[in-house]
Amino acid sequence: MASGGDIKGFYRQRKKNTTISGGVTKPSAAASKKKGTVAAKGPSAASVGSGGDPQPPALISHGSLDVDKEYGPEEEVLRLFDMDMKYGPCLGVTRLERWERAARLGLHPPAELEGLLLRHREAGGGGAPAVKLECLWEGRI
Amino acid sequence: MAAMEVDGGDGKPLLERKQAFYRSLDDPFEIRDEKYKGQQYSQIYFMRLHNMRNLIYPLVPKWKPQLPVCTVLGLEEGKECIIVGTIYKHMKLKPSILDEYSKERSTIPLVKPHNFMHPDDHLVLEDESGRVKLGASVLAPSDFVTGIVMALHGKETSDGDFFVQDVLVAGLPPQVERPIISDNKYVVFISGLNVGGSMLNPLQFQLLVDHITGHLGDDREQSMASQIVRVVIAGNSVEVPKGLLSGQMVTPKEQYKIFEPIKELDISLTQLVVAMPVDIMPGTNDPANFSLPQQPLNRCLFPGASTYNTFVSCTNPHSFELDNVQFLGTSGQNIDDLGKYSDAKDKLEFMERTLRWRHLAPTAPNTLGCYPFTDRDPFLIESCPHVYFCGNQDKYETRVIQGPEGQSVRLICIPRFCESGIAIMLNMRNLECHTLSLSTNLDF
Repeated sequence: MASGGDIKGFYRQRKKNTTISGGVTKPSAAASKKKGTVAAKGPSAASVGSGGDPQPPALISHGSLDVDKEYGPEEEVLRLFDMDMKYGPCLGVTRLERWERAARLGLHPPAELEGLLLRHREAGGGGAPAVKLECLWEGRI
Repeated sequence: MAAMEVDGGDGKPLLERKQAFYRSLDDPFEIRDEKYKGQQYSQIYFMRLHNMRNLIYPLVPKWKPQLPVCTVLGLEEGKECIIVGTIYKHMKLKPSILDEYSKERSTIPLVKPHNFMHPDDHLVLEDESGRVKLGASVLAPSDFVTGIVMALHGKETSDGDFFVQDVLVAGLPPQVERPIISDNKYVVFISGLNVGGSMLNPLQFQLLVDHITGHLGDDREQSMASQIVRVVIAGNSVEVPKGLLSGQMVTPKEQYKIFEPIKELDISLTQLVVAMPVDIMPGTNDPANFSLPQQPLNRCLFPGASTYNTFVSCTNPHSFELDNVQFLGTSGQNIDDLGKYSDAKDKLEFMERTLRWRHLAPTAPNTLGCYPFTDRDPFLIESCPHVYFCGNQDKYETRVIQGPEGQSVRLICIPRFCESGIAIMLNMRNLECHTLSLSTNLDF
């Protein structure tokens, strides 16, 4: 398990009798009961029977868990930059490199992004950074 | 460089070898300290499309004024417009790594065809927004390969294909004017020596070295040899027995068989290098990396020759200028790959196409190994060379092609020396070529 020491978390999930692997559920009395409640609740409870972590550690061979379900507005802006086709593919280069390449090609990427990325690069690791230096898909593809 | 002494003496004037000012333009082909970070080839394709599109857009209004340019996603049925993108050629017979997993072994032919074309091949145009299949007539798929960027005029049909009415490629790049050279200066091109292989006759190669260095012939021959300013060896200089390179343990006796060809080559190169500057390029069989651009052969391989400053180990492709005459060439992998995936009447036509497409190796990285650059596509031809050569071909061919803005390029296909015994001499004064043919055959 390359995602470091999460074996306990994995076993803990089995004891709770929830999904063993993301999305695949064993038909069980508990699940069918949940289905009933879902019908009553309506569309808000979308996943049936999967009460556990949407990204069980077992499936992730490298890269990191997206434990931050919230991300700040700065990360949001950077993700939009990642997805913009005009600047080319985002996978395989760091965001800063992609920004610099776009600037060199005369595509005028938003100037504030460079400052944002440089500041966070200087700031270093220390806990989860508010902004990631790699693109959205890095480590997951 | 000091004048080269010529045997003879007796009051005859010493023949001095001519010199030419050399400048290597191999910088974009050097990998240096690029680090592979796990990127895929999308980056190099993006750079190719971006740069070529910027070259093609200014040409579009002159070609088809009044027509709008749109992206593939913005195509509307029946609306005539122009789209610019990268061509992908879907080929039925193209070998795919996935075939190993999907089909049973028995259906894969044991003999691989040399050319993978099939009448059912079709072309697809792709840009960042999407792809569209190209229908009809004007475009013969056999003339094109994956990786070319071009502009197409046409309209979308009801079944979703793009019906092509006209095609525009970037054309020959701008060329610096060729300087006027008043006296004859020759460059010798050799390729496919395959030293150590069974095909090469070592005596033939030794004759060539002796002739070029001026050790053969009478005064007239020697004075011709003194006009040779440079030798360019375009790839496949050694042939190491392939059976020994399969990764198993090699005994000392077999090790000898591996490095013996390189030692022999070094001895001959040292003789050459003492007399004049030599550029050596790696080829498919040489001990260099596999993917293009191939990096220069390591100087450690040539302990004798590399002590001279006239020995220059170059990349493949190789770009340089001599007395301001621009040269560009490869060891043949790009043209051979074009030959596998498209059709033309001769190799010179493939070479001409690569110049008109402004890309040395459009099939890289699709079918030709290539380094996944992220910040550039080094195979884009930015300025038109005066001489464009390609090594390791079957036969000697040469032609001059003209461009719309007065560009003029001498195309040369260099034959394999081990098979033909032919080296090419190019006169820089008028860009005329002739062969230097050596034979050790005693039958007349």
